[in-house]
Amino acid sequence: MQTWENSGEKFNPTQTAETEKLKSELLTLNMGPQHPATHGVLRVEIKTDSEVVAHAIPHIGYLHRCMEKHSENLDYRGIIPFVDRMDYLAAMNQEHTYVMAVESMLGTEVPRRAEYIRVLILELQRIASHLMAFGTYALDLGAFSPFLYAFDEREKILRLFEELSGARLLYNYIWIGGVWNDITSAQLYRVKEFCDHFEEELKKYDTLVSQNKIFRERTRHVGIMDEQMCYAYGATGPVLRGAGVKWDLRKVAPYSLYGELDFDVPVGDGDRDAMIGDCYSRYIVRMKEMTESVKIIRQILDGIESGPVIGKVPKVIKLPKGEVYMRTECPRGELGIHLVSDGGKTPYRLKVKSPCFTHTSMLPEIAPGQLIADFVASIGSIDIVLGEVDR
Amino acid sequence: MSTNVETVSVKEYFRSIWQGVSSTAKGMWITFRYVWGNKPVTIEYPEVREVLPERARMRLFNDVDNCISCNMCAITCPVDCIYISSEKRAADQEVPKTDDGTPMRQVLTQYTIDTALCCYCGLCTTVCPTECLTHSNDYEFAQYTLGDMKYDYLSDDVRAWKQRIVGKEPVYRR
Repeated sequence: MQTWENSGEKFNPTQTAETEKLKSELLTLNMGPQHPATHGVLRVEIKTDSEVVAHAIPHIGYLHRCMEKHSENLDYRGIIPFVDRMDYLAAMNQEHTYVMAVESMLGTEVPRRAEYIRVLILELQRIASHLMAFGTYALDLGAFSPFLYAFDEREKILRLFEELSGARLLYNYIWIGGVWNDITSAQLYRVKEFCDHFEEELKKYDTLVSQNKIFRERTRHVGIMDEQMCYAYGATGPVLRGAGVKWDLRKVAPYSLYGELDFDVPVGDGDRDAMIGDCYSRYIVRMKEMTESVKIIRQILDGIESGPVIGKVPKVIKLPKGEVYMRTECPRGELGIHLVSDGGKTPYRLKVKSPCFTHTSMLPEIAPGQLIADFVASIGSIDIVLGEVDR
Repeated sequence: MSTNVETVSVKEYFRSIWQGVSSTAKGMWITFRYVWGNKPVTIEYPEVREVLPERARMRLFNDVDNCISCNMCAITCPVDCIYISSEKRAADQEVPKTDDGTPMRQVLTQYTIDTALCCYCGLCTTVCPTECLTHSNDYEFAQYTLGDMKYDYLSDDVRAWKQRIVGKEPVYRR
């Protein structure tokens, strides 16, 4: 018989006479794949002792679409719609990483205006993605209205994207050599108005959720991923910054225009009674990042130049023989694309390093000893998108 | 974490309860203010229809009178949902021209798009040399079977869309 005593070394609740009496057989519970708290089609096999999680094993693969293998039969422009579908909540960032990988091999020069539009779009997408994370995280913990407020703002960004590219989520907007369509000055003015409005909204979210005592008690000291653990697993993005490490590729290895822009890298500092690396620090890093994104957008609006939006690219793209590894800072962490070309019209191999996959693999480490409700809070705080985990 | 038993003094215990009540009341006041002065953000769909942006990528429409059967769209399509075939025009026949003056050397015999397979990426419309293949603003085309999602653009009923789509009047108004 498997009991929690012989089930694992990590699980070691407070030993008292009462808990000794209560020890029982482990119950296997399947959370997902259609569980609303798992953010997609993640199935977590949990072994529970009463309400305490003893083991959690994430099972992935429900959204596997064979995208990497399929890309080997597609031309370089045709892969962009597939790359979109990896992380459908931050498709622009995914496109940008792939396009930058192709451009670096092709040696294409991207026009200045296209770079400005790209950074503007990327930061707007980051806000949209973090708003989704914020809204659903509050929803996971039982607050419904922040979800509606977040979606209201997100809709404004998606509307702009729809006007630019024609689609709400899967854009195919960033092309090899530039962007598809030019942005008009009326749209830029709307972005400026959005920035003014959004800063007020952020203050509202802060009062509504971040300062709420119940929310803080639910998230602080829960699901702690400390610095050493993040290094061991290779965590990136808000998870790593939540653990107090100042690591942002936009600062550390600037790409596109980020080297010229002025912004801070927020890290979890354990204020408001939180512990460095807990759910609350990860959450607060995302909220602070949105402020930084607004700051970047304002600088872009001041500095945007006129000119063409797409550079000179051959009609049929053939990459020279070789390989490239390109990584950028996506809303969920570092996305890496390893592109190998044998000189043909299609890639020889396309490998994606997904941040969400790394973060999902950290779940079994933090789960033992948590309550099931805290485990839901932990899943929500790492903000995974299963399309990117499975690809 | 549940296993960490924190000891709190009586004062701290009551203070945290007070903080919980007061911070929640602050949040509820924010929500309560939405009673006044906020415009509704949703639309009542079947009665009120949203005007989509000009570039919205909805159902594909091919104006076969302007198609030169160049196969570019079918080659570009990443999901291979465009079925196109054509044959050579007889030598004694007069070669018609498209609206922009390109001669139509081939006779289009089949032009079918499986809309159920289409991923609406818009790559086919960008390569079209005569700009006859476009994304229309139609978004209501649910069908009962997958087979009904295949559109034969040479058939009369699909050709009739041209008056609606290419015409000056927008399809949907608010």
